[in-house]
Amino acid sequence: MDHPIDLEQADDEARVVEASLKRSGFLPIVTNWFDRLFMGIYLFVALELLWMRFLEQSIPLTVCHVIAIALGALIVWKG
Amino acid sequence: MRSNKIGWLLLAPTLTILGLFGIVPFLYVLYVAFHQWNPFGANPGMIYNGANNFRRLVVDGEFLTSIYYTALFAFFAVVSEIILGYLLAQLFTKDFPGKAVFRTIHTLPLIVAPIVVGSVWRLMTTPSIGIIPYYLKYWFGYDLNIGSNATAAFALTVIMDIWHWTPLVTLTLLAAIVSLPKDPFEQAQIDGANRWQIFWHITLPMIRPAILATVFIRLMDALRTVDEVWMLTGGGPGAATRYLGLHIWKVVFPKTDYGYGSAISIIVLYLTLVMCWLLYVGLVSPRAKKRII
Repeated sequence: MDHPIDLEQADDEARVVEASLKRSGFLPIVTNWFDRLFMGIYLFVALELLWMRFLEQSIPLTVCHVIAIALGALIVWKG
Repeated sequence: MRSNKIGWLLLAPTLTILGLFGIVPFLYVLYVAFHQWNPFGANPGMIYNGANNFRRLVVDGEFLTSIYYTALFAFFAVVSEIILGYLLAQLFTKDFPGKAVFRTIHTLPLIVAPIVVGSVWRLMTTPSIGIIPYYLKYWFGYDLNIGSNATAAFALTVIMDIWHWTPLVTLTLLAAIVSLPKDPFEQAQIDGANRWQIFWHITLPMIRPAILATVFIRLMDALRTVDEVWMLTGGGPGAATRYLGLHIWKVVFPKTDYGYGSAISIIVLYLTLVMCWLLYVGLVSPRAKKRII
């Protein structure tokens, strides 16, 4: 049994897949929102620890909180 | 709706146990990590001290040294176990005389408790009475003394871990190898692929999930090893084998510094998660130009 292939439909599907591939996101891996939240928390902790080790003497930790939260939010929404 | 209720009902025991024995203790440790708490000291109550415990640990030389040695230990132990375990698993797929006996003997270390493994290795490596220093001296003229030689002590803890846990890797990889379909291998042979090409392009990709799961298990175990090393070297000489688990034990029990010990525990958990996540991303997660949701 031969089923004729609808080339127009196949092209449409390919365009949809192509469009979904080009969705925004700067991370080089496939992620869902929970992955990105996880990464945000990893980075938050890492930044806080590094800040306490190297920068806290000159710049207060509050600055790090703001940067880390902003970075986390950026990763969750745009990553 | 009904199927959802049944699903939640079936999940309830697991979730309850996970919550009681996993999440609640974790939250409690996190809470303690932000306090100064020495229950056997002059002031036994918990005193909130913000992030001071974390401030202390990022400049604590002993802690940073123990991270370094733990990372080295985990790297050498896990890599050696995976390579040896794979070779042994391949060996067990072939037929040879005494295979059943060898396989049984090879699996025996798995059923020995870590504390016993540590004491047996201690007996075997104690200078003047141990069999290993005796033969090393007899055959190679090498004086093995793990009480004074830091490199030897470190190497012995790695070798002990390999001896103890390689059988686990062998069993998991053997299960993965024997469950592989025959067709791709036959087709590759027909196409003229050599052994290395078959291993690299067929076997390795197909058993990658099993390898990854084994690496996760072994990595997490290696990062929290305590009892074997405690029995064999006691964390010495110096700090050469004072791995993270031992360091936490020394902070929490002899020094009864529960707040600081909890902070270190949280960081160890964090490091373990990061390492496993990086491994997962590096080996499994699809590289993509897209994202889900």
